[in-house]
Amino acid sequence: MTTSTTDPRLLVHAYVDGELDPANALELERQLANDPALAAERERIEALRRTIAERLPREAAPAGLARRIEAAVGARPAPARIAAHPSWRALAASVMVAAFLGSGATWLALSPAPADADMVVANHVRALMAPHPVDVESSDGHTVKPWFSGRIPEAPRVVDLSNDGFALVGGRIDVIGRTPIPTLVYRVRQHLISVSALRAGRAAAMPNEQIAGYNLVSWTDNGVTYWAVSNVAAADLNAFVKAFRAAAPDGNT
Amino acid sequence: MGSLSSEDDQARFASVVLPHLADAYALARWLTGDRADAEDVVQEACLRALRGIGGFAGVNARAWLLTIVRHAAYTWLGKNRSASLLVVDDLEAVERQQASGASAFRQEPQTPEAALIASADARRLEAAIAELPVPFRETLVLRDVQGLDYREIAEVTKVPIGTVMSRLARARRRLMQRLAEDEEKAGS
Repeated sequence: MTTSTTDPRLLVHAYVDGELDPANALELERQLANDPALAAERERIEALRRTIAERLPREAAPAGLARRIEAAVGARPAPARIAAHPSWRALAASVMVAAFLGSGATWLALSPAPADADMVVANHVRALMAPHPVDVESSDGHTVKPWFSGRIPEAPRVVDLSNDGFALVGGRIDVIGRTPIPTLVYRVRQHLISVSALRAGRAAAMPNEQIAGYNLVSWTDNGVTYWAVSNVAAADLNAFVKAFRAAAPDGNT
Repeated sequence: MGSLSSEDDQARFASVVLPHLADAYALARWLTGDRADAEDVVQEACLRALRGIGGFAGVNARAWLLTIVRHAAYTWLGKNRSASLLVVDDLEAVERQQASGASAFRQEPQTPEAALIASADARRLEAAIAELPVPFRETLVLRDVQGLDYREIAEVTKVPIGTVMSRLARARRRLMQRLAEDEEKAGS
C-alpha cells in the first residue's frame, strides 16, 4: 500500500475528501500548482462530487418502511430524544477503536495540526475516558452558565438546542496551555459533542478537519473562537454548528 | 410470542437502528437497484440487527447498521444477481493490467471537462452509478451520496483505508468517462 499511496492521482481524491494529513496535503498542493493535468483532475473530482450532491440528494426511507420494520421486530418508534444514559465504557471503547483504525494509513489526517486543535481533541478524548464528561451536569442552561461564572472571567454562551436534537449534557473547564477554557457538552444519539470557547486571536478559525478520527469544526462569532469536536459524522457536526450559531442564547429568548 | 428479543433489545433497536433507516434503505437500493427489493433487504437486515443488538458497542450506529445491510444485500445479490458479484480481486487485477503499459491517466481517451460533468442530469448520473461494479459502486455511494468518511467506509466494506481510496478513485474515474461518452452520443 505504501507504494500505491504515493501516486498523486490517487491522493488527490483523499485531498478533495479532506482525508490527507497536513504534511501530505501541503505536498499535494505543491504538485497541484506544478501539474496542470493533476489540477484539472482535482476540478473534475470536485465537479463530480458537487453534481452528485445536487442531483442525487439523500432520500427519506419510504413512508411504510419504518412501520413494516417495527411490525417485523416488535419495536416501538424511537423516542424523539434519547433518555438513556450512554455507556461510558462503550464511549471509551470508541476512542480505542478510533485510535486503532487510525493507525493504518500514514497519509491520513492524524498528526500535525495547529496546537489548539490537538488540545481540543485531547480534552474531548480525556473527557470521554473520565467517569464524567462534564464537571457540572445539567440540561438547563440557567444552571450551567452560572457555574462557569463563579470560576472563570467570562461564562460562555449557552444555548438550548433540544429542539434540534442536541441535548445539553453540561459543562466543564478544559485547559489549553495555561488558559482555562469553558467547554459545553451536548449529546446527539449516542455521541457527545464538546464545544470549547476561546478568545479570538488565539487561534485562526479553520474549515472542517479530522484528527485521530474525530471531526473538528472551528468558527468565530462575536470575538469568540469556538471549536466543536465529536466522533459524529461531519454532516451531523455541521448541523450542530449551524444550530448552535443560529440559536438565541439562553435567557435571551 | 416467546420472542428471541427482550424488551430491552427492542428499545435499544428503536434508538440505535430506526434513526438510520433512510441510510439503510439508500444503500440497499443502490446495491439491489430496486425499491421493493431494497425494502426486503432492509427488513432482513433489521431482523439481523435486532438479533445482534447485544453485541453492538455503541460506537457508530450508522456504520454498524450499514455493515449489516451490506451483508444482507450481498446475500440477496448472491441469490438473485450472482453475476453482479464478480470477485473483486479479479476485477482489480483486470483494471491494473489495463492501466499498466501506457501511463494511464494522461492518455485516457475520455477526459471530460469539469463543466461537462457538472451538466449531467440526475437520470444519467444515476444510470452511470448503477453500471459500476458492486465494490466500486458501494464505495462511491457511501462516500459521495451518503457522506461517510474513509474510516467508516473501511469499517462497512471490510477493507483497508487505502483500498477505500483506490476504489473511490476508480469509481469516480469510470463515472467521469461514462458521462463523457453519454455526451458524445448525445452530441453526434
